[in-house]
Amino acid sequence: MSAGPSRRALFAGAGVLGAAGAVAACAPDKAAARSATVPFHGAHQAGIATPAQDRLAFAAYDLTVTGSTEERRAALIAMLRTWTRAAAAMTAGNPVPGESNLGAAPPADTGEAVGLKPANLTITIGFGPSLFDDRFGLAGKRPAALADLPKLPGEDLDPDRSGGDLAVQACSDDPVVAFHAIRNLARLGRGTAVMRWSQLGFGKASSNGADQQTPRNLMGFKDGTRNIHGEDTATMNRWVWAGSETDQPWMRGGSYMVTRRIAMRIEAWDRDFLKDQQDVIGRYKYSGAPLSGHKEFDTPDFHATGMGGPAIPADAHIRLAAHENNGGVRILRRAYNYTDGVVPSSGELDAGLFFICFQQDPRKQFVPLQRRLGSMDALNEYIEHVGSGLFACPPGVRPGQYWGQALFS
Amino acid sequence: MRDIATRRALAVPAALAATALLAAGCGGSGGTSSSGGATKVTVTLTADGCAPKPAKVKAGPATFEVTNSGASSVSEAELLQNGTIVGEKENLTPGLSGTFSLNLKAGTYQMYCPNAKTERTPFTVTGTAGKSSQDPKVSAALNQAVAGYRTYAVDQVNKAIPATKKFTDAVRDGDIDRAKELFGDARQPYERIEPVAESFGTLDPSIDARENDVTDPSKWTGFHRIEKALWKDHSLAGMKPVADRLDSDMARLKARVEKSSFQPAQLANGATELLNEVASSKITGEEDRYSHTDLSDFEANLDGAQKAFDLLEPGLKLTDPSLAGRVSTQFGKVADALAKHEGDYSGTGYVDYSTVGSADRRTLTQKVDALAEPLSQVAAKVSG
Repeated sequence: MSAGPSRRALFAGAGVLGAAGAVAACAPDKAAARSATVPFHGAHQAGIATPAQDRLAFAAYDLTVTGSTEERRAALIAMLRTWTRAAAAMTAGNPVPGESNLGAAPPADTGEAVGLKPANLTITIGFGPSLFDDRFGLAGKRPAALADLPKLPGEDLDPDRSGGDLAVQACSDDPVVAFHAIRNLARLGRGTAVMRWSQLGFGKASSNGADQQTPRNLMGFKDGTRNIHGEDTATMNRWVWAGSETDQPWMRGGSYMVTRRIAMRIEAWDRDFLKDQQDVIGRYKYSGAPLSGHKEFDTPDFHATGMGGPAIPADAHIRLAAHENNGGVRILRRAYNYTDGVVPSSGELDAGLFFICFQQDPRKQFVPLQRRLGSMDALNEYIEHVGSGLFACPPGVRPGQYWGQALFS
Repeated sequence: MRDIATRRALAVPAALAATALLAAGCGGSGGTSSSGGATKVTVTLTADGCAPKPAKVKAGPATFEVTNSGASSVSEAELLQNGTIVGEKENLTPGLSGTFSLNLKAGTYQMYCPNAKTERTPFTVTGTAGKSSQDPKVSAALNQAVAGYRTYAVDQVNKAIPATKKFTDAVRDGDIDRAKELFGDARQPYERIEPVAESFGTLDPSIDARENDVTDPSKWTGFHRIEKALWKDHSLAGMKPVADRLDSDMARLKARVEKSSFQPAQLANGATELLNEVASSKITGEEDRYSHTDLSDFEANLDGAQKAFDLLEPGLKLTDPSLAGRVSTQFGKVADALAKHEGDYSGTGYVDYSTVGSADRRTLTQKVDALAEPLSQVAAKVSG
């Protein structure tokens, strides 16, 4: 399909470190994992460097509040305070605060997560470029790195699945807990914000920690073998966290999140012959080894030759995405599989990858990577980018602070 | 109407409300805005009975947690005072549990569970309601609110009867065009007080059921049966008995409304319910699926909710002025959003709803949600 302009995902190897020696072979104990919590407070927001959980509930919100700039700003701040308190409570395994236990009042918490462990719930907020228009007096606070994404090759974006003034990424090992988070934030925001679009994801499709096994995406390939590991502080500081390079001090310690809903042509992919699937990705399907090697964590050798050409083809996904071939550029991926039933017009599966990545500056990281992949990647025959989001995730909060507080001071 | 079984009653028979609830200062649920939490009373339904634990509590807000641990013969618990129900939880089949809340006044009560071996167990409330009793200024404002709402409900039913009659006369005359023009206006008074009608069991289904609400299509009556005849069948054949029945149902409604009394929390929850109606059956186009006069019903539901809130507002301003302000602002936004669709379709003041696109419907829903969420917080702030 789509010959020329490629539609392309940053699946397998958007430039990541090859080092990753240790793979923990044992799966974490399920019960222990579910009672686990990830600290909400800290220098960085949880849900970026922290280990990827099994499930995603993602929501983008638009602010609908009207009035003067001051009134709108006050309403936004009030909502962020409420959201921060609720997020801190939910990630600790507590219900949304404010229960009065009165029969005449609706419960403060919607209740579906009562009795469930937080299962490593993290809730991460991001601010979209549209937040920095004239509505909230924030135009002067827009980071240069939050430049609108340019039109990228091969994409066919649905505006109803793209953009948003705010975004919340909720991840947990329990899908109910993750959904509960975005649902309750939507409720708390009524009158100030409305949900613009949302996406559920299952089976994390990229590992971001040395102790995680590399999961497989819906194409059946290991994804994230060379991803950045959250505990690799030096790499995180170089490629993921905003630091002294930012023009907006409020973003220091934050990160920029790009989301892409990448539809897979599952039926076509499933009937592609094995060798071609492997040539498209650049890895062996079952071992996950690069076509130039034997084991998953062998560093790909892009100069190695095979029968009649390079072992890893010129248009293979991992070749085009590798940091070695992109001036060293890397991003942290935190993608999830998705399915939304069937495509009504075709009856084919509506499924793919909800790609999420974090970086210091999308202009220098995601955009050039995707330009290259979107125009050259062999994978473009089987995928299409149909939704897109860009969000500035502020740094973490200390107790008593609210999300993005420095943006308003 | 929809999902009758789950609806909370807005109106209660006058005798009950006057003796037990209003006079005793018990809201349909208890507590004041500053309540630090209700006393918990546990009631376990068994074949033997339903003894409350503890059997004696202090006056003030209380929540009764009723559980049926496996008694197939017993399925409800009622708190009685002088033989009148002041709170109850019904339909608890084995394994189910539920709660009800009250602001208890001192006195002697009984926990009653029909069909148990011991049906009645004494329950005592000591002291006075103390701090949780209402500020007299608030009580006075809320008493005015419920009196005002009763007048409003009676007034609406008095308007519904002639408006319905004009419509049913046209139906009986076989005048399709005239009946279509009168359909929206005939429904409006009813839609303004719909939660009241819904509290009277079978009346609302008889007046306002949709085709998919009835199991036997030959027994389908009310506005929407005639709506289908007018807009889909283009024939009023066989509609005379339906028209007659609609008139007699309206007369029955009037008799019931005149005997009703209301509590502040019921006004507030009834208003929320009206907005839930707007979101679930008007904006979806479900209610008036043949005539597409949904926006006329929308307006009537909104009017009814606004009226209930206007009446509660003076009291609410004393207990939670910030909430009063938020609700008031959002009412204005919904009214503005609705006004964008004004027109002159089929005798209504609005456009044909089938011409309203999905983006506009989404905006309407979001504005209604933005209003209904704070509105749902009002009941707890106006309970005695």
